[in-house]
Amino acid sequence: MHTLRRGLLAGVLASLVLAMFDFVTDGAPGNGFPSVLRWFGITVADPTISRLSGLLLLIVLGGLVGLIFGAIQRGKPIATGRALLTGLALGVLWWLLFEVVLANITNHASSPFSLSFGRFLSSFPLAVLFGVLIGAISIQWQGQHGSRQPS
Amino acid sequence: MSLSSSAHKLKRLATTASEESAVAPPITLSERSSIGLALLRILVGYLWFQQLFWKLPPTFAGLYGYVVRESQHAILPGYGALLQHTFLAGCPSLSSPVGCTAFVPLAACVWTAELLVAISLLFGLFTRFGALLATILAVQLYVGLAYTEWIWTYGMLVLLALVLVAVPAGRRLGIDLWLAPRLQAAGQHHRLARIASWLV
Repeated sequence: MHTLRRGLLAGVLASLVLAMFDFVTDGAPGNGFPSVLRWFGITVADPTISRLSGLLLLIVLGGLVGLIFGAIQRGKPIATGRALLTGLALGVLWWLLFEVVLANITNHASSPFSLSFGRFLSSFPLAVLFGVLIGAISIQWQGQHGSRQPS
Repeated sequence: MSLSSSAHKLKRLATTASEESAVAPPITLSERSSIGLALLRILVGYLWFQQLFWKLPPTFAGLYGYVVRESQHAILPGYGALLQHTFLAGCPSLSSPVGCTAFVPLAACVWTAELLVAISLLFGLFTRFGALLATILAVQLYVGLAYTEWIWTYGMLVLLALVLVAVPAGRRLGIDLWLAPRLQAAGQHHRLARIASWLV
């Protein structure tokens, strides 16, 4: 249970780091959030609601991936290397599922796996970073609270 | 206890206290400060990451205008000439890199160095190496462009990078968390690992 909760919180915090990037981008802050909605074919006409619901969906998705990370641990303490590697693998999966397949399907691309160099470069490192952050945050909490919590 | 021995003890205590105050107490970063520095590192990494996209390969055309400006406004004597004989060698025009012989390979080196900085700082992977590289790149920008914009723009970039050289910011929320203890352990037997451990 503790590992699930830790994973959930790590996922939410990692997604908040991704969200933070959207506030230090040129142009209006939060312009990237509607693309999260578009992964699921959702478009909202009002730009403010579109940004806010995109941010909310990003946090929910981050929490879900964090839960998966917690479930993989099966309630046991996890080594640093394994946590980072598991997070990295989840980040790659996140990228493949959302940034490649779903984005291509909803954009009616010729293939669900079509990808330009620019799109790869702008999406892959950040998705992998998201995964690595889940692992790193989880390890951080395990180190701080591990001795107090039963696995 | 005699009067003279207690006076001697008092004098010794006073000497010890003054010796202690002469030595600066060690500073230990709290977990919160370390996490804050790790977030700073990630944001600085993202800063470098964003700058890759306006000078993408294979042409790196976005970089050309800046190299031309650096060659005209460099604050170090001779630096402009150096750029003109390397990056801009054989360039027929100041507005387009078409026809330049050495621009693309040298621009590729700059772009790759910036990519390395971005990956290093975003992931906290050999963070001090990434920060050192960022310092060199930022100093180069300062030398070439400082007087063409607000002078502190590139100065702050140098200072930010120097902060990340000084503090091991990759050991929280980064891969250096895993790497550092292993390199330090291996560094007791291998010189290469010892050198690598300085860079995390």
